[in-house]
Amino acid sequence: MDEQRVITVALAGQPNVGKSSVFNTLTGLNQHVGNWPGKTVEQRTGTFAYNGVTYRLVDLPGTYSLTANSLEEVIAREYIIRERPDVVAVILSAPVLERNLYLVAELLGLEAPLVVGLNMVDVAEQEGMRIEPRVLEAAMGIPVVPMTATKGLGIQELVRAVDEVAHGRTPQQPQRPEIRRDHQEVLDQLLALIGARAPEGYPAQWVALKLLEGDGEISALMSQRIPAEEWAAVSRILLEHEDAVIAVAGGRYEWVARMVRAAVVRPRAGQITLTSQLDRIATHPFWGLLVLAGILGVVFWLTYTVGAPLQEWLQVTVVGGLGQLITSALAGGPRWLTALLVDGVLGGAGTVITFLPILAIFFATLGLLEDVGYMARAAYVMDRFMHLMGMHGKSFLPLFLGFGCNVSSVVGARVIESPRARLLTVLISPLVPCTGRMAVVTFLAPLFFGRGALAVTWGLVAINLVALAVLGVVLSKTLLRGEQVAFIMEMPLYHLPNPRTIAIQVWQRVGEFLHKAGTMILLVSVLIWLLGAVPTGEIQTSLLAAIGRGLEPVGRLMGLDWRMMLALLSSFAAKENSLATLGVLFGAGDSAGSLGSVLQAAIGARAAWAFLVVQMLFVPCVATVAAMRQETRSWGWTLAGVVLLLVLSLLGGTAAYQIAGLL
Amino acid sequence: MLFELLDLLRQGGAQTYAALARQLDISEALLEGMLADLERMGYLRQVGGGCAGHCHGCTMAGTCAIGAGGRIWALTEKGARAAS
Repeated sequence: MDEQRVITVALAGQPNVGKSSVFNTLTGLNQHVGNWPGKTVEQRTGTFAYNGVTYRLVDLPGTYSLTANSLEEVIAREYIIRERPDVVAVILSAPVLERNLYLVAELLGLEAPLVVGLNMVDVAEQEGMRIEPRVLEAAMGIPVVPMTATKGLGIQELVRAVDEVAHGRTPQQPQRPEIRRDHQEVLDQLLALIGARAPEGYPAQWVALKLLEGDGEISALMSQRIPAEEWAAVSRILLEHEDAVIAVAGGRYEWVARMVRAAVVRPRAGQITLTSQLDRIATHPFWGLLVLAGILGVVFWLTYTVGAPLQEWLQVTVVGGLGQLITSALAGGPRWLTALLVDGVLGGAGTVITFLPILAIFFATLGLLEDVGYMARAAYVMDRFMHLMGMHGKSFLPLFLGFGCNVSSVVGARVIESPRARLLTVLISPLVPCTGRMAVVTFLAPLFFGRGALAVTWGLVAINLVALAVLGVVLSKTLLRGEQVAFIMEMPLYHLPNPRTIAIQVWQRVGEFLHKAGTMILLVSVLIWLLGAVPTGEIQTSLLAAIGRGLEPVGRLMGLDWRMMLALLSSFAAKENSLATLGVLFGAGDSAGSLGSVLQAAIGARAAWAFLVVQMLFVPCVATVAAMRQETRSWGWTLAGVVLLLVLSLLGGTAAYQIAGLL
Repeated sequence: MLFELLDLLRQGGAQTYAALARQLDISEALLEGMLADLERMGYLRQVGGGCAGHCHGCTMAGTCAIGAGGRIWALTEKGARAAS
C-alpha cells in the first residue's frame, strides 16, 4: 500500500528510562545528531525499516511532564502538537511506574496516537513488583509492550505495536484523565470562550486545561488569538480559579493512581521493608511512646552505671588531688590565691568538667540514635503525644529539636509559617529537657535516690513533658484558636550506624563543652567565689550570702536554703553552673570528700527532689533567652516567656516539696 | 487527588509519608511526586534539613534531632488558603 511513505515516530519518556538504548537498538548507524530548530538542545533522529516501511524515529528530550517548566518540555510538546508524528512511543521505567505514568497522563491530553513501552520489567520483578501489561493496556486504552531494552527484549514487539497503530489496525480508545468534578463547570466555561480559536493541532480541551494550570506559553499564545474583551473574561475566570491547577494536576494523579491500582501487584507482606516494619512500632501512637521511654531509660541507665562512677572518681581523685597539690604548692603564698584557685576555679569549673564522662555518654547515645535514623521518629512520636494531650490540628515539630539544646528548638520554630504558632513554640520550648539540665539531674539523682534514680529521672522528664503539653494546650486554646499547623515528614531509612560519624560528633561536642567550661562557667565560678569572699572573707557574712538570704523566703517553700537558691539563679548563665555554684559553695575543691557526700550531708532527699523539679522547669539559660528575643523580636514576649517559666518552676518546686512531705 | 492531600493536611499535625500514602491509597513514590509538584506550584515548601550553626552557647550546638536525612514539608500561605 503506502510503501513509499515514511512513518514518523516520536520517542518520549522521562530521563533515565532507557530511551536511548531503544533509540540506538532501532536506528543503529542510521542516526543524525543536530539541534532542535532555534534551540541549543540536542536533537537525535534516525531511521529504521520494518515490513518494508521506512520509519523515522525522533528522540524527544527526556521530560518529567509537559508543562512549560523547562525548555525540554516545551520542545517535546511543541513537536508533538506541530509536527503531528504518526505515533508517539513513550518509554516507561517499570520500577518507577507511578512517576512515569504522569507523563502518559499528559501525553493523552495531546490526542496523539500512543504506544507504551514498559521497560525494565526484569528490575521491577526483582524488586518484588508485578505489573500486568494486559491489564494496564485495558485500563489506559492504549497498547502496552513489556520490554528489557538493555537485553534487546521486547523491542521488536514495540515496533510491531507501533506499526499496527500507524496503520490504524489497533484502534485507540484512550481513557483520559478527568478534571475534578467540581471544576468541570469552569473548564466548560473556558472551552466555550476558546471555541475554535485554538491554533491548528492544539486540542481545545488541552489548551483550556493548560490555561487553568497557569501555563505562561499557552496564555501568551491564546491572548493573541482571542479578542481583548473575551480574553478579559478568560483572565477573570483564571484569576477566580487560581487553585484550579490543583484540580487539573490532581486529576492526572487520580488517573495514575487508578492505573497503578488496576495493574500493579504490590510486594507481598513478607517483603515489606525493614524500615516500614520497624516504623509500625516506632511511630505507633502508643507503642512508639513506650519505645521512646525505653530508649531514654537505657540512656539514663548507661549514664548512671558507667558515667556516674567515673564522674565521682574524677571529682575525688583528680579535682581533689589537684586541690591538695595547689594548697601545698602555694602554702607560703597569699591565702586568697589558694582559695580562689581551689574553691573558685577547681570547685566550680573543675566540678563541671568532671561531668565529661556523663556528657560523652549522652552525646554518643544521641549521636547513635540520630545516625541510625531514630530521632525523626522520636520527634514524630512526641508530636503525636501532644495531640493525645489535646492539641489537635497543631504541630510543634521544631520543639523536639530541643532535646539537644533549647536554642535549636527556638530557632527551629522559624519553619512554622503562622506567626502565632511560631510564638507559642518559642514560649514553650524551654520546657523540653536539654542536655544541660539533664547533666544536673544525672549528678543529683543517683546521689539522693540510689537505685530509684532511674525512676526519678524518668519522672522529671515526664513532669516536663506534661507541663509542656498542658501549657501548650492552654496557650494554643487562647493564642491559636482556629489555626492549624501541619508538617509532612519523610522518615529516613534506618541504617547501621557509622562509628566515625558518631565519634566526630562526640569529639566536637566535647570540645564545645570544654570551651564553655573554660570560659562562661569559669567566669561565673570565680564571680560566685568573689561575691562569697567580700567583704569579710567569710562566706556566711559575704555579699553573696546577703543576696542568697534575700531569696530564702521563696526557697523555704521548697525546702531550699540560700545556697541552693543561688545555684538555681546561676543556672541562668548556663545550666551546668548550678553544679559549679554548688561546688564553690559546698567546697568541692577542698579535699574533705566528694561534692556528693558533702551535699548528702547538707540537704535531704526531699529538698533535692524539689530542687531538681525547679531546675528542670526553670527559666532557660541566657543563650536560649537571647534566641527567644531574636526570634520573637520582642522584649515583651521574651520577658513574658521568662516570667511564665519562673512562676511555673516555683509553683512546681513548691508542689513537689509539699507533696513529698505528705508521703 | 491533590485536593485530597491538602485536605488531609488541613487536619493539622505532623504526618508521615507512610500515613498519608495509606490514607490516599497510593504508594509513597507517587506521594513524593505529588509533594514535589505542590512545591513547584507554591503550595508546599521544604523546611527540613537541620538547624546546625544556630545553636551558639550550648554544648549541643549543631545537634539536630530531626536532621538525619528525612525531608520535612510545610504548607505555604497559599497552601494553607487552598487547604481551607
